[in-house]
Amino acid sequence: MISERVKSNLKQTFSESLLPKLGLLLLVSIVFMAIFAPLLATHDPTRTGHYDEQGAEYPPLGHEYTTQTPHEGDIVEITVEPTTEHVLGTNNVGQDVYSRFLYGARVSLLVGILGTSMALAIGVPVGLVAGYYGGRVDDGLMRIADTMLAFPALVLALALIGVFGESPVMVPDPIVMAGLADGMPESIPIPGTVTIVVALVTWVWFARVARGEALSIRNEEYVKAARSFGTSNKTILLKHVLPNSLTPIIVLATIQVAVIILLEASLAYLGFSGTTLSWGYEIERGQDVLRTRPWVSMFPGIGIVLAVISVNLLGDWFRDALDPNIEGEGR
Amino acid sequence: MKGAKRYAIDRRTLLKITGAAGATTGLGAIAGCLDDPDAGDDEDPDEITITLSQFPDTIDPLDHITGDYFDVYDHIYEPLFDFEPGEGIFARVVEDWEILEGEGATELQLRDDVVFHNGDDLTAEDIAWTIERTVDPDMGVVSDIGSFGLGSIEGAEALDDTTLEVQYAAAPGLAEFEFGNYARALNMEWAIENHDAENEAISGADPEDFNGTGPYEVVDFTSGEEIVLERFDDYWGDEPPFERVTFNADGESSGRVASLETAETDLTINILPEDVTTVEEADDIEIREVTSFRNIFCPMKNTVEPFDSEEFRQAMNYAVDNEEIVSSVLNGYGEARGQPVAPGINGFNDEIEPYEQDLGTAESLVEESGYGGAEIELTVPQGRYLNDAEVGETVADQIDQLDNVSCDANIVDFGVVSDANSAGVDPDTIEIPFYLIGWGTITGDTDYGVQGFFTIPDNPARTFDDEELSDAILESQEIEDPDERRAQLEEVNQLAHEKAPFLFLHTQESIYGVREDIQWDPREDETVYIWEMET
Amino acid sequence: MTMGKFLVRRILQGVFVIWGVITIMFGLRAVSPGDPATLMLGEGATQELIEHVREQEGLNEPIYVQYFDYLQGMVIGDFGYSWRSNRQVEAMVIERVPATLELAIAATIVAIVIAIPLGVISATRRNEPSDYGATLFSLLGISTPNFWLGLMLILLLGVWAGLFPTGRRPVGFAEAVTTLVQHGSVYDLGIWLKYITLPAITLGTYFTALITRLTRSGMVDELGKPYVTASKAKGLPSVLVRYKHVLRNTMIPIITVLGLQMGTLMGGAVITETVFNWPGLGLRLIDALDARDWPLMQGIVVFIAIAFVSINIVVDALYSYLNPQVREE
Repeated sequence: MISERVKSNLKQTFSESLLPKLGLLLLVSIVFMAIFAPLLATHDPTRTGHYDEQGAEYPPLGHEYTTQTPHEGDIVEITVEPTTEHVLGTNNVGQDVYSRFLYGARVSLLVGILGTSMALAIGVPVGLVAGYYGGRVDDGLMRIADTMLAFPALVLALALIGVFGESPVMVPDPIVMAGLADGMPESIPIPGTVTIVVALVTWVWFARVARGEALSIRNEEYVKAARSFGTSNKTILLKHVLPNSLTPIIVLATIQVAVIILLEASLAYLGFSGTTLSWGYEIERGQDVLRTRPWVSMFPGIGIVLAVISVNLLGDWFRDALDPNIEGEGR
Repeated sequence: MKGAKRYAIDRRTLLKITGAAGATTGLGAIAGCLDDPDAGDDEDPDEITITLSQFPDTIDPLDHITGDYFDVYDHIYEPLFDFEPGEGIFARVVEDWEILEGEGATELQLRDDVVFHNGDDLTAEDIAWTIERTVDPDMGVVSDIGSFGLGSIEGAEALDDTTLEVQYAAAPGLAEFEFGNYARALNMEWAIENHDAENEAISGADPEDFNGTGPYEVVDFTSGEEIVLERFDDYWGDEPPFERVTFNADGESSGRVASLETAETDLTINILPEDVTTVEEADDIEIREVTSFRNIFCPMKNTVEPFDSEEFRQAMNYAVDNEEIVSSVLNGYGEARGQPVAPGINGFNDEIEPYEQDLGTAESLVEESGYGGAEIELTVPQGRYLNDAEVGETVADQIDQLDNVSCDANIVDFGVVSDANSAGVDPDTIEIPFYLIGWGTITGDTDYGVQGFFTIPDNPARTFDDEELSDAILESQEIEDPDERRAQLEEVNQLAHEKAPFLFLHTQESIYGVREDIQWDPREDETVYIWEMET
Repeated sequence: MTMGKFLVRRILQGVFVIWGVITIMFGLRAVSPGDPATLMLGEGATQELIEHVREQEGLNEPIYVQYFDYLQGMVIGDFGYSWRSNRQVEAMVIERVPATLELAIAATIVAIVIAIPLGVISATRRNEPSDYGATLFSLLGISTPNFWLGLMLILLLGVWAGLFPTGRRPVGFAEAVTTLVQHGSVYDLGIWLKYITLPAITLGTYFTALITRLTRSGMVDELGKPYVTASKAKGLPSVLVRYKHVLRNTMIPIITVLGLQMGTLMGGAVITETVFNWPGLGLRLIDALDARDWPLMQGIVVFIAIAFVSINIVVDALYSYLNPQVREE
């Protein structure tokens, strides 16, 4: 459990260095952006368009309901440079890069958090059981974990998506539902398979850490004592082993959010996202026009870097303050 | 607006303006200070490097029927006929041919001076065997293109060393389009000796694994990367223009453009509209384009809701503004289309206009269909056709603007779309009923553009289930008189327009980047023949 | 436990892991949508041809028979034939190994050459500007997706500055060395270097950052240990102390982590090769995936798994040699 000592360590590390403050500030801003994306966005992120030379919008492509349509010889743009109307420009289909940047934060963070939670839910029980019981159970579970490690994360992800498809899950947007942001999409797609896949390729790291903790805790005097009182293994695991392994697991979870954000971006970049509203996908899309319209892939990339840095800074803070012995991280 | 993507409604104006505006941007300028070894090689006028978007993944010349593949292999395994898009077939290895009336066969007369790269003479038996191999799976060295590639062709038989008979099950007019395009020559004895018996295939990765009669022979081959050809000294015909030809591939348009700019390559294909200006502004290279035989459209499988309603399918066609997509998303590099095939194809019906966007009509058609409020998804491949993902998103967005239909685009890998296209029309197994795909009618005959999609008998991979349309196509296959057959094919196209089995989009242009001093006109059938070039 | 016993145990575990990978791949293929015969033949193949291929490929056999055939093939090193190119998978894998190996080694060299000095400087000058600089660099390094980094390098150093080519691998290392030996010309070697620079930086950045962090934290720990304080008191020159003992002790965990990170390196190679059109195993894997070429996909994945397991056994052996008590765990 989170003890007083832990709290004071956290506080002390936080006040000593600039980095945790920076990380927290960045993360809060990104979470804010993600939550209030519909209010902060200037355009519907999925809406395609075309523009005149100043970046002002013509009616959507081919819609006859409005009278203003381009005339023969007019200069019409799809991908416009950053202007006052489109602060970060538009992408190759005329969508507003800034608005997509905001919505991209939602997808990245949601996949990061959901994926990590799932990985945690698989990895921690497996690791605790393996470490606590030891012997054959441990051997078997750890070999499975080794197998997962021997499978390059990306390969497993690509194969599973090949099998299960991308299954985007439409998540309704409460802000738009409440009528606060007219004209924004009513729901955003979360890539279902990708989320499960990132959990499947990263749970091993949780299992390894949880196992290590359980191994050392099971030989502690108070565990031995509890066992001699006839306390069931299940109770010991839940009451003693789990609470005492929480610290390193929390630190690892923080790092894993960053790892998963990067993994999701890589998958989206390779075209396996299941949603087009993703930073990684946007970079892929911008690759076609990299030489002439670099802003299309530049800004989403900066988004990924900032999000991952903020989470990593937080992870470093936890690690420095709590000092668990975690080796490496998966990616 | 420096560096921004520009287009004008009138493409000529566009080119003029972007040319002028572009001069001030400098963004596209690339420092050419790389002392690249390949650049040095290119000063040799007798060499040419061609960069494709995909490298051939097999060495069997009869494994595919379309694609970048033939750009390479036709120089090694030459076609038996010269095919001129829109005109027909002309003598090449086959000197003369005669339709045997009423026998379902044509007699081909070969030149007697054709030799393979290994020195063997070409005989009629080689060709007969090559054709048999593609239609008869029990031959041993089976070819994957099987019978769908050779259409109605049933077999071939050598009559003497230079004469053979090709048998087919359709009208000679149709069969001629088919054997005129597909027929190649493998060296029978050599192939039987060298093929991989366990695997029943022609495969390998050495230069000696290629043995054709074409004007070039293989001197170096690196699987997946590069193939180098040199003139074949004993070639029967005219000496081709370059002594040494290198083919390589780059899947990214921007990469191909970079190779062209740095003179690492002399000709490259599938340039994206966005990159056109970059190429035009660079020195010594230019853009060449031609409207291809490749139509882009979205099949709607009519065995599932809501696509089982003709009104609904027509509504989809009325919802989309093809002209606008062509002029904006494709920067003008295409032509709006309202039928399955492109102009220049035998049977193209020039009286059919593309569907004009009319949202009012579209919405009322949706109401009539009873599918008001329908939610549909358009599955779109990425990187396969000219700006495919962007086209697909725009189409979905335009359909979505209808008050009574909502539509999303799902961007996927091409393999998913390809699977969907061949998954058939069984309503229980259809997962993707509405997707964007492209089809190049490379034979130059409407049959190739419609048969695979619409005919019912023996065609589990069809995308549309309609007796009337299927019968119309089957009927056309039997008509012997060329004019009558063409009229029937025009009728097929008209019927397809009305029944709207597709959301018709456009015919795309092929855009090439070429070294200025190479004289060469791009072909509608997307093939690149070195023997048609001059320097 | 003796070293020999330890090794045998690790190798047996490794065999189990590879069996697991093979089995998972077989399972994925079995549950994958699409009839393999149709996938092989492409759209529009006739029923007759499909049946012929099913027979030829043994697809009509019960699933367990297919599985044992497959396993048997793998054991004798027969990975089957690619569906697309009809070539032997082993050959298609082996011919792509040099390109990936070159890239991975170049990236590792980049990482070690930059990271260890950086980590040492960082640890010995804690909370000085150079420490902050190194920390910031390593933070950026582990937080930047390598495909984006690759694209930005292409844009900045390739397109705008024109310093490096933006893709492909016109000449291999072996070929370049051959030119050097036979003709005494470094020309090809220069070309090789020019083309591999950006991909190596792209792939190496994450590891550079990771090793910098590990070196720094490892050094900080070691420097606080009694033997360092003691040797300082004895008056040994501090530079000698730092590098010889401290670094050696720091290297042990670094090597272990690098072994574990081999999977990451392979994943990174797939992406890097895609960005730079670098003809290695990763690019071939992506091609195989696009074409649904299962035998080729399996061959590549199993090959990578074998490489991964072998490297980890070597790393473990090294680790236990340096640290004998590990074997007892």
